[in-house]
Amino acid sequence: MEDKFIILDGAMGTMLQAAGLPVGQSPEVWNVTDPEKVAAVHRQYVDAGTRLVCSNTFGANRHKLAGCGYSSAELIAAGIQLAKKAVGPGVKVALDVGPIGQLLAPLGTLSFEEAYDIFKEMVTAGETAGADLVFFETMSDLYELKAGVLAAKENTHLPVWASMTFESSGRTFLGTTVPAMALTLEALSVDAMGFNCSLGPAELMPLVEELARWTDKPIILKPNAGLPDPATGKYHMTAIDFAKAMAPAAELGVGAVGGCCGTTPDFIRATADIFQDKTPAVRSKADRRGVCSAARTVELDGVRVIGERINPTGKKRFQQALREGDMDYILARAVEQQDGGADILDVNVGLPGLDEPAMMAKVVRAVQSVSDLPVQIDSSDPAAVEAGLRAVNGRAIVNSVNGERAVLDAILPLCKKYGAAVVGLTMDKNGIPPTAEDRFAIAERILDAALGYGIPKEDVYIDCLTLTVSAQQDQAAETLKAVRMVREELGLHTVLGVSNISFGLPAREHVTVSFLTQALAAGLDLPILNPNQAAVMDAVAAYRVLSGEDKDSAAYIERFAAAQETKTVSAPEADMTLDTAIAKGMKAETAALTEKALDAMGEMDVVNSLLIPALDKVGDRYERGEIFLPQLINAANAACEGFEAVKKRIARRGGETVSRGKIILATVQGDIHDIGKNIVRVVLENYGYTVIDLGRDVAPEAVVEAAIKEDARLVGLSALMTTTVPAMEKTIQALRASGHDCKVMVGGAVLTEEYAMAIGADYYSRDAKQSADIARLVLG
Amino acid sequence: MEPRLTGIDRREALRYLGVRGDKPPADVAASLDKWEAALLKTARPRAVWRLFDLAPDGTLAGTAFRPAGEDIRRHLAGCGRVVLMAATLGAEADGLLRRTQVEDMAQAVILDAAAGAAIENVCDNLCADLAAEMAPAFLTGRFSPGYGDMPLEQQGEMCRVLDTARRIGVGLTPGGLMTPMKSVTALIGVADTPREKGEGGCKNCAQYENCGIRKAGGSCGR
Repeated sequence: MEDKFIILDGAMGTMLQAAGLPVGQSPEVWNVTDPEKVAAVHRQYVDAGTRLVCSNTFGANRHKLAGCGYSSAELIAAGIQLAKKAVGPGVKVALDVGPIGQLLAPLGTLSFEEAYDIFKEMVTAGETAGADLVFFETMSDLYELKAGVLAAKENTHLPVWASMTFESSGRTFLGTTVPAMALTLEALSVDAMGFNCSLGPAELMPLVEELARWTDKPIILKPNAGLPDPATGKYHMTAIDFAKAMAPAAELGVGAVGGCCGTTPDFIRATADIFQDKTPAVRSKADRRGVCSAARTVELDGVRVIGERINPTGKKRFQQALREGDMDYILARAVEQQDGGADILDVNVGLPGLDEPAMMAKVVRAVQSVSDLPVQIDSSDPAAVEAGLRAVNGRAIVNSVNGERAVLDAILPLCKKYGAAVVGLTMDKNGIPPTAEDRFAIAERILDAALGYGIPKEDVYIDCLTLTVSAQQDQAAETLKAVRMVREELGLHTVLGVSNISFGLPAREHVTVSFLTQALAAGLDLPILNPNQAAVMDAVAAYRVLSGEDKDSAAYIERFAAAQETKTVSAPEADMTLDTAIAKGMKAETAALTEKALDAMGEMDVVNSLLIPALDKVGDRYERGEIFLPQLINAANAACEGFEAVKKRIARRGGETVSRGKIILATVQGDIHDIGKNIVRVVLENYGYTVIDLGRDVAPEAVVEAAIKEDARLVGLSALMTTTVPAMEKTIQALRASGHDCKVMVGGAVLTEEYAMAIGADYYSRDAKQSADIARLVLG
Repeated sequence: MEPRLTGIDRREALRYLGVRGDKPPADVAASLDKWEAALLKTARPRAVWRLFDLAPDGTLAGTAFRPAGEDIRRHLAGCGRVVLMAATLGAEADGLLRRTQVEDMAQAVILDAAAGAAIENVCDNLCADLAAEMAPAFLTGRFSPGYGDMPLEQQGEMCRVLDTARRIGVGLTPGGLMTPMKSVTALIGVADTPREKGEGGCKNCAQYENCGIRKAGGSCGR
């Protein structure tokens, strides 16, 4: 930006409503029908001192404009052209882009790619029409904003400004924090960032102050005219009060000022009066940095644990889950690692025969839907790395590059483009050097290459590589030495996969913990490990006390105070049966008893003569009203542990998955309430059926396609709302029209037996238990 | 008038769970306590409301929104004004529910019921505040799209009039459902004279045909 403040404009919608636009009508339509009225607003702002106006295109996206008779491109072209004509030379015109008005998955149903496409249509139209820059405003979803920024960066040459709307809590409606916004938008190389809408100027000042510590980019500030009167929705702040409240922004290093809801040309005039003679304060350099998801930032100012469990290498059960698309199994690994104390989650989905880029994007998105930990994209395939970086919400780490030039040249540009940090392995095409000095030399080479691509030093993390001590005993010391050198001489963060050290030894934990402790002392701050191994995490907790990171040992005390309270694991009673264990929902006992049974009986016998009958008994009690839904599910979950034991046994001998038959489940198109369907899935799976869960908001064609592809004899459809039951009927018709031979069961709060029959279903399922009965009837 | 979540009504949550009788199983009761605490910590309740004059043709003055159906017309009979409101537990509650579904579906079911009771609590608190603010005028109960013959589709119009996306972060899917999921829109009549409570009763409810409580001779008391 320049040495002067850029004076922006104020509200557009409010002004147009004052000029006669009915509430609820798209203001953008006036770009074509009443261009003079829109131009008049631009001129009023320019007269008041505005030097950069936002076009009347905030909601000109194809989703919001549906049914208005004009296309996004038409209204944008008209809006930019009329603004350029109205403001004359010397005043810039920004293409104003607001939220699409529909939430992205997982909260809503819009996909990232669709959002990208909607924004692409807008920004290309804006550039063609002559906009000077793209200005994303009033965003509350960082992920949606990422789609927009990428669309603008990849399809236009325009500068990109991005501004989000925050609550006084310091979060957006979707939970994004100021640091996460700063890190993510920096990573995407926007040209300016800041705040608009949300609150009044005074309430936004603390957020501006915080933002300045996380970014060196110019800061934009466009507050509302205070807080609205709830009863009328009107703002009462005066222009003078607004301008006075804006004044502190000059000292905080803001570069562009204007107003949002409730502000008028008077507000801008008063603000311009204050700001036009001032020079923006020179900010001290941002002093905070880290990686983040949308809601959580991890600063690297202490030991940060990277969880290693989302990785199929050497894990039969995980491989099976990846091959079968069993997302829940993978997500459970994410949740348990977060519960175990991980700070960052490594995501590795490399498996021969699998489409790694597609799977990487899918798993990264799924993981971020249940965990707010930042992620580390773990792959050596550039396509998978890029797919992961695109899919990630926040700022990620890439694991990894090494000293090979070809690898550096393939991966580093991606890290630069998406602003990711990168892990460099101290090896090259000659393998892992045996001496610390040679590994250090590779680390230097990697750092140089990264700097050459414009990646800042603090984003380069070095992995000096752990070798198995039982095989190469002298190497443990070399690794530790290399860690110390990289840390002390290069000042870089270091990464180390710790668990590998003890491979092949008995009582591995002792060796792992001892190595970890020494490595931490040598300067390791990003250990990659299994956070569900208590001894390892205990060592990290202890180290944090000794290093002073854990102030007053508070976290340590809390960890072990809590541990003592819960240390009452009851030993399973000797005479407990599988029946009782399942009925009481006791998972560990069910698993143990199943294991025992598997020693004496075949897998299918255990399923058919033990697990299923036990579940049936629980089901009968549920039907008699003796137990309720949570207990039914608990029992089913316990049985699941039994099935897991069976599956593991089969996986170990490489056999076929045990299944009583395939069932397709889907929540119908337009419906997002999927807990009912998920309950049915859990129960059916725990009855031994293979469930292909298509998720929610599933189009009829997708159900038909899956039913045919999987050759499923039973399809279950769920709809919760009266408005989505027609989609259920459409899906049934599509299934019938396809000629695929299958039965359809339907369920959902607003359905009745009668209604189910009327829309052509074969079965009405009152609850999860009944769906299992129907499955047995159809599939046996 | 800050929107607030103060606790959950156990009876209501148990009803959502389909637990019959007065004494819930101890583990279910304990889980409800746990999820109440979690929601109090995690949810970020928000609400927006506006007061409108009711035009003679039933539209809300200054907007193009006209609540449809006989039932809402009856509900607002004798009211000169109407409060349009929307409330939500926020995206975090949806996130907690997603995460819990992965961890433990039985707990997720209980959390879902607790969250349902929680959003009702937020609405109840808001209504109590509104009643105090509007006194000496009287408020009717809440009436939401989907009750009786008021079409659920009008939820979208209500969100647009209240500008919920910008004000409280409540958006709509293409199918017209609200996100985050634990969100409510409602109309409340404002009258100068007290109204009889429970007018219309169960028959106003979209669940009339399905309702297990009604079939068992009870009422949810709404």
